[in-house]
Amino acid sequence: MMQLIWSGLFVGSFYALVALGYSMVYGIIQLLNFAHGDIYMLGAFIGFALLAAVGGIPASMSIVALLAVMLIAMVGTGMFGLVLERVAYKPLRNSSRLAALITAVGASFAIEYGMSLLAGPNPEVYPVQLSGESFTVLGARISPQQIILMVVALLLMGGLTYYVQRTRSGRAMRAIAMDPRACLYMGVNVDKVISLTFFIGSALAGAAGVMAGAYYGSITFLMGFIIGLKAFTAAVIGGIGSIPGAMLGGLTLGLLESFGAYFLGGQWRDVFTFGVLILLLTFRPTGLLGERVTERV
Amino acid sequence: MKLHVRLVAAAAAVGLVGAALAGCGSSGGSSSSGDNITLGMVTPLTGSSAAIGPYMQNGAQLAINEINAKGGVLGKQLKLDVQDGACDAKSATTAANKLVSDKVAISVGGYCSGATLPTLPIFNNADIPMIIPAANSDELVQQKLPLVFLINGTGTQQANAAMKFIKKEGVKNVALMDDNTSYSVNIADLTEKLLKADSSGPKMAIHEHVTAGESDYSSNVNSVVKANPDFVYWTGYYQEGGLIIKQLRQAGYTGKVMVADGSVDAKLIAIAGNDNAQGVFATMTQTPDTIPGSEDWIARYKKAFNADPGPYSTQAYDAVRVAAEGMTNAKSTDGKKVATALEAIDGMTLFSGPLKFTADHTLSAGGFLILVVNGDKFDVQDQLQD
Repeated sequence: MMQLIWSGLFVGSFYALVALGYSMVYGIIQLLNFAHGDIYMLGAFIGFALLAAVGGIPASMSIVALLAVMLIAMVGTGMFGLVLERVAYKPLRNSSRLAALITAVGASFAIEYGMSLLAGPNPEVYPVQLSGESFTVLGARISPQQIILMVVALLLMGGLTYYVQRTRSGRAMRAIAMDPRACLYMGVNVDKVISLTFFIGSALAGAAGVMAGAYYGSITFLMGFIIGLKAFTAAVIGGIGSIPGAMLGGLTLGLLESFGAYFLGGQWRDVFTFGVLILLLTFRPTGLLGERVTERV
Repeated sequence: MKLHVRLVAAAAAVGLVGAALAGCGSSGGSSSSGDNITLGMVTPLTGSSAAIGPYMQNGAQLAINEINAKGGVLGKQLKLDVQDGACDAKSATTAANKLVSDKVAISVGGYCSGATLPTLPIFNNADIPMIIPAANSDELVQQKLPLVFLINGTGTQQANAAMKFIKKEGVKNVALMDDNTSYSVNIADLTEKLLKADSSGPKMAIHEHVTAGESDYSSNVNSVVKANPDFVYWTGYYQEGGLIIKQLRQAGYTGKVMVADGSVDAKLIAIAGNDNAQGVFATMTQTPDTIPGSEDWIARYKKAFNADPGPYSTQAYDAVRVAAEGMTNAKSTDGKKVATALEAIDGMTLFSGPLKFTADHTLSAGGFLILVVNGDKFDVQDQLQD
């Protein structure tokens, strides 16, 4: 039982990190950025390239090296998210939502197969991986590397919450989510804040990518696809547009999957998870923490 | 003025695209008429199994080069037309239709069973025989299409080999894991049937299905470990296989692990981690490395492509040779005549042994053997000859 909860929370924290970017972008410009999962993949590959370039890192330094690589990869994916927004989404900001949505799907394919051209279609194995002897707590097998990753994920989420709730730029973000036009009239630099949102969301996905590479050990150019869908689901469960909702949604999804697979068998896991999602949306269409939004015409 | 510039640019772009399309048309339009006979191949060049495509393409090309050097088939030169199937039903269907419109004489492709299945009626309706080198789900021949031939061992043969080895190892509880694709489910289901039919032998502890393409299989691994098996048989592909082996070991599983032929790749060992992969068994058909006396062939392959052969290079090579043999014997490229000639082949030497198709158009001897991970490669554990 404890084992199920622990594995669920662990997987869920990955979903949560990626879901944050989905939710933040949706909250601000109502765009479902389907390329977001691929930015996670991009982060994993940036980390891979850096570690491969540095070469021979002693085992004692692997955590430090991975953290450093993670920070660089975060900046890299953040910048990429910024460019993606400028190139692919900004020109379409005033056209129909569908146009932007299709562009996002196109951007996703472009990133996936661009990476396949660049790095080859074969899965790559991370040169530096976290390892350690696992131990048992209350019947759950826990490994030190899982704890490290959970702590990093929590720190990142905590930092984000602080940033959005306590700083000026964070306040601007929340304001734009409420009413972009009014913000423009009030002298808020809307473009800049949107860019910043893409930067932060993409950086979090990039961090998750490096963490996945370091923990699971294998990365491919298609690794962002399924986690992108899962993160989107997590964002919807938590209430898309809500930052605490994305975190809660990610953890909930992880737990649902863990329990679903254990009690019903692996083939029923997704049926169970999405069955619960449909039930939830029937009773709470805006998700766990989503606020009821009145459509303004 | 600016508008004008744009128009010119657009016109230039259209012109370029037009030229490119025309270029495609002239190169892709090679038909079986004229001086060439074109063989078609649908194989994954993108997607999760993209690594396999070049192995198969090169294997087939090597056979074509050798046959052409000896004067070709029916006085014509062979050509290879490769289309990307991406291990995906939709892409493979598009690719197959492209090959049909390119008027290929015989199809020598097919890797992922799930992607190959929907292409069968496309080729069959166009009277194009299929000699499938790699895909090996029993579903491929269950439709009894007259022009479909498999030259890889079938799921049944692989499951039989797995069962034989499982009994030899004297294990008690077997966990089966598949990835919900045609190829994988086929082997796992057949093995399950064998386990259940043999009441005195090993029991089936659990049959777990996973979703391909994920990173975290801990929820599946938890279920498997709970069932307390002493033998796990994974029937999917190597990417997930590596992760599952690693996560099984992390979850404290210490029993034996075996994988099916889709997982036999050095990357499996790299992904699982060298320590975790040691002693992992595999059911596999013959590969260049395991076939005695294939050094010469490997050398020719390396010389031609400056790369090492891999899984299904030999089968693709053999598929082309079988196709050439069929056309030569039929003295025609007509699909039905070639199929009749293929059925009549008896004793042609392939990497998997002498060729004689069964009534189902499968190999009479599957040629499966058991490999074991030793260091960073697979060695032969058991030829399963007895």
